[in-house]
Amino acid sequence: MYTLGIDIGSSSSKAVLLKDGKERVSQAVIQVGTGTSGPARVIEETFGGLDITIEDMDYIVATGYGRFSVEEADKQISEISCHAKGIYYLYPTAHTIIDIGGQDAKAIRLDGKGNIGQFVMNDKCAAGTGRFLDVMSRVLEIPLSELGDVHFKATQWAFVSSTCTVFAESEVISLLSQGVSKENIVAGVHQSVASKACSLVYRVGVTDDIVMCGGVAQNKGAVDAIEKELSKKIIVAEDPQLTGALGAALFAYELCNRSKRS
Amino acid sequence: MSTINELISRFKEIADNPKKAMDDYRAETGKGAVGIMPVYCPEEIVHATGYLPIGMWGAQGKNISKARALLPPFACSIMQSSMELQLSGVYDELSAVIFSVPCDTLKCMSQKWKGKAPKIVFTHPQNRKAAQSAANVFCREEYLHVKEELEDILGVQITNKDINNSIAVYNENRQALREFSDLVAENPGLIRLRDRHAVIKARWFMEKSRHTALLKELNDAIRSAEKVPFNGKRVIVSGITLEPYEVLDIFEEFGFAIVADDLAHETRNFRQDVPQDEDPLMALARAWNLFDGCSLATDADKPKGRILIDAVNKYKADAVIICMMKFCDPEEFDYPILLQEFAEAGVKNLQIEIDQETTSFEQIRTRIQTFSEVI
Repeated sequence: MYTLGIDIGSSSSKAVLLKDGKERVSQAVIQVGTGTSGPARVIEETFGGLDITIEDMDYIVATGYGRFSVEEADKQISEISCHAKGIYYLYPTAHTIIDIGGQDAKAIRLDGKGNIGQFVMNDKCAAGTGRFLDVMSRVLEIPLSELGDVHFKATQWAFVSSTCTVFAESEVISLLSQGVSKENIVAGVHQSVASKACSLVYRVGVTDDIVMCGGVAQNKGAVDAIEKELSKKIIVAEDPQLTGALGAALFAYELCNRSKRS
Repeated sequence: MSTINELISRFKEIADNPKKAMDDYRAETGKGAVGIMPVYCPEEIVHATGYLPIGMWGAQGKNISKARALLPPFACSIMQSSMELQLSGVYDELSAVIFSVPCDTLKCMSQKWKGKAPKIVFTHPQNRKAAQSAANVFCREEYLHVKEELEDILGVQITNKDINNSIAVYNENRQALREFSDLVAENPGLIRLRDRHAVIKARWFMEKSRHTALLKELNDAIRSAEKVPFNGKRVIVSGITLEPYEVLDIFEEFGFAIVADDLAHETRNFRQDVPQDEDPLMALARAWNLFDGCSLATDADKPKGRILIDAVNKYKADAVIICMMKFCDPEEFDYPILLQEFAEAGVKNLQIEIDQETTSFEQIRTRIQTFSEVI
């Protein structure tokens, strides 16, 4: 049985193709999200080189911000449920999930059996999300993928507020004009992300194991800042951008089995 | 007997066209309208003048531009849109505007209001529970101030008998609304959520005895209706308001029915009656002292959580959804207390953020869909 999970986020499109709910046949990430060519391209890349097509899927679950725009999907499930599903599958000891994506940050508490006990999302502003880091990367003229390495060269973390992306951008420009090193500013930016994300984690409760997923989990500097804020070790999920799509594919497997039984 | 749909369409027409409601009232009675700014006002005093008290709860999806020059960005969207409407001249036809000032934003708004209609500002007593007698005397004096200002501005005399009559009219309306809310809870598949909201919202733009008469017809029709199968989840919503309509549609999309609300825009106005008294201003003051469960009504005992948990049990609700008005400090201060009380009582809960300006609802959809998957 082939099942497909498609996670169409605000800034990236992801897919995981499973065989019999276990074997990962293929997966893909395209770094543009809903409303772009991303959804079509991620499907094309997932099936590239395979002798099966999307028509051969037994069940497809779409998740993410753009989940309702995936016409091929049999069902839409929220990304919070899908990330929880994917993370619990990979890390059964997970009790707390931190998911920071393109424009949302979420903290999810699991009950030890994979069920969601509580979840909270950021509100009011994109501060502390991937979009926030995009903006800072541009202002600092450091590629997004290099922010993590630059972080560890900091000698004294600068202070960047966590209230608002626009205000924080102005603060960073001000710090640059004061001659503060880019390394210290980058660490301050990550501290700002950590402060925002951890305010969500504190609401659901900090319980080991803590697993981080979403695109920002690929940034070692952001992970370091969150670990320091929580004084806890964070497990970075394997392929952290793909846990939502993995969860969607697992849901698809369960739903397909259920529909066959009934 | 009119059908449920016919009756609801009449409520919706009024709820969606407050200007027409005001014009119709003026044409019929020769009297105008008095604007009631959120959140709590002894409307009975206005009703006693024969003028139409009309709620000023901002506007859904209103583009804010002029108000930005006068208000800080972190004022709530009700205040932003109310100020925008005022600056656009929408409220110029009102005969007066009454402000209560239970939060910092309203305190400042009441001082910056530049509309053509004269404003009347009053304040509720802060230490109302611990110093009850003094608080009641203070509150009565504030209500007397409202009465005297209205008499001056509108050129009318308001007698105690007038106010007592209005209290009786309002109590009858409150009773009918409580019945309506309970009838909807008993047959949650029957009335759409946006219709429930419109029926209650229309009371802000209707003379209350007329609202009551129409509502009693609707209640009778609902009582006679057959049960509609409902397999979704029963929830209680709490907050300042639950708009825009699109948010209510998302509730329905994921199978949620509202079986009771604890909204400042809705049930908090009719949860309890005002006791009759020879001194009606004191009766209104005492009613304020007894009023519980709103973050804007100071009470160090913080009874809101207990009220909500009791409502969960009474209405056999599956969960509480906190509809947090964006940038409402008093509500945000209370939220951590509620979370702890819900956890202790085992009440499932969700928070969504309400912003009248919002035209994109994906984040709310994600939260509500996830919640439907979790519970």
